[in-house]
Amino acid sequence: MGESGPMWLFMAPSVLVIALVLFYPFFSAVYYSFFNYYLGSQAITFAGLDNYTNLLSEERFWITLGNTFFIVGCSVALQLVLGLALALALYACTRGVRLISLLNFLPHVVTPVVGGIFLKWMFVGRWGLLDATLIGFNIFPPDWLGDPGWAKFTVILADTWKFMPFLMLVLYAGLQAFDTALLEAARIDGASPWQLLWYIILPMMKPLILFVVAIRTMDAFRFFDLIYVLTNGGPGTATETITLYTYQIGFRLLEVGRASALGVLTLIVVAMMVAGLIWFMQRRGREAF
Amino acid sequence: MKPRHQIPLLVLLSLFTFINLVPILWGLLISIKQPADAFSIPPTLIFEPTLLFHWEVWVERGFFSFLINSLIVAGGTICISVPLGTLAAYGLARTKTKHASTLLFSLLAIRMLPQILLAIPFFVMARYLSLIDTYIMMILAMVAINQPFTIWLMRSFFVDVPVELDEAAMIDGCNRWQAFWHVVLPTVRPGLAVTSLFSMLLAYNEFLFALILTGSRTKTLPVAIAEYGGEDINYWSISAAGAIGIMLPPVIFTILVQRHLIRGLTFGAVKG
Repeated sequence: MGESGPMWLFMAPSVLVIALVLFYPFFSAVYYSFFNYYLGSQAITFAGLDNYTNLLSEERFWITLGNTFFIVGCSVALQLVLGLALALALYACTRGVRLISLLNFLPHVVTPVVGGIFLKWMFVGRWGLLDATLIGFNIFPPDWLGDPGWAKFTVILADTWKFMPFLMLVLYAGLQAFDTALLEAARIDGASPWQLLWYIILPMMKPLILFVVAIRTMDAFRFFDLIYVLTNGGPGTATETITLYTYQIGFRLLEVGRASALGVLTLIVVAMMVAGLIWFMQRRGREAF
Repeated sequence: MKPRHQIPLLVLLSLFTFINLVPILWGLLISIKQPADAFSIPPTLIFEPTLLFHWEVWVERGFFSFLINSLIVAGGTICISVPLGTLAAYGLARTKTKHASTLLFSLLAIRMLPQILLAIPFFVMARYLSLIDTYIMMILAMVAINQPFTIWLMRSFFVDVPVELDEAAMIDGCNRWQAFWHVVLPTVRPGLAVTSLFSMLLAYNEFLFALILTGSRTKTLPVAIAEYGGEDINYWSISAAGAIGIMLPPVIFTILVQRHLIRGLTFGAVKG
């Protein structure tokens, strides 16, 4: 088909709208990040790189960045292990797979705020289901949401609860696309189930695993709703991620310039991580698979 | 796997599923128990269920009007995002030039954009134009988040339609638009339904933008339920009833799009 003229007409409306609602706001935010801009005060003064240098020299920025990495790292690892185990179990199972995967998938589609509230009723002190049960067994429970260490743990568990189903489903789909002849051949040659997993299934799944890890890493920097409901970043700044911190600066303190700078810094961090992952995938792609 | 392993496997899977769903089941129980039963230790399992709190939250506490707000936002998002995205997706699926693939991958890169970075200018614009607490800003924000995903998902449905179909229609005298409208579009109807459902779910579940762009008149369900929170025990029964009700549309959604979940997920339909 030679005529590309009419095809561009199909794309034009969408491109226009994207320019208006995505690119215009994005570039405005980048622009704000170079100004001292408080909502409510009229004076907007040029600040150069001040917003950036102030943030980079601030302890709280590094704490929230560290929290984000720690929470994201732990929960992605936990989700990956659980999701993979569940996907393999579903793959081995012959009955009721559809129902089981559907039921396990529910935590992922439930409105995040609602999921957060449900989880809060698990972990909240004294009246929560966990505490009530533990007290029933005469075990004194820790303060799940109030102790800095346990609060991190709880938030990681919450994120895992929400995203494990996503990994389960994508990895299960990947398993189904497998060539079963290869597995069959290995089994006939006397490979144990662990050997099958380690030498055949996992190497074949590697590209898919890297892909979902990349997706989860990108999304994890948007992680907001669940933490907002569960701990709101507390106690202190123990579970404050970079998104929650941006929210505090931008929408509580109304420091638009500084919040924008923080958003741009977040974007740079995410972009670097994704670039790293893509580089890693391509490098591995040449040798291993 | 050998048949003798099936039963223990099924038991393990069922157990895991049950544990995974405990938070939701516990919420359901709170919503239909009298508070006296709900907070007894150890938890009581035999009780007389009540729908009183469901009635109270949806009718007396106005959650029904928040549902309407949520539906207006979701509906508005679908009406703008899906037609535009479908047109662009068709264009992209049938163009093989370098520009087209550049465009596609830059759409994918938008996924990296932290949403809070987008939320700031939307908030500033809304304040500046006095559009806080109106539907329009919220709908535009949802379109912004949704459009790249809509294009990718619809494109995947168009790619499944053989190009020969368009060519045959054009040989028979259709122009490009007629081939699209009368021949190709009807074949991707299921794709349109799935894409609309995913867009609806995204707008319905959105919290951050709703928190900053809506107010007392346009408040959507997630914001309303977050205000009740989970802290104050006096409100537990009521907010549990609200939470369970809010959960129903996503559950129905999952059952409806079961077969297309993977496709939607990998293009970034559902987010945290």
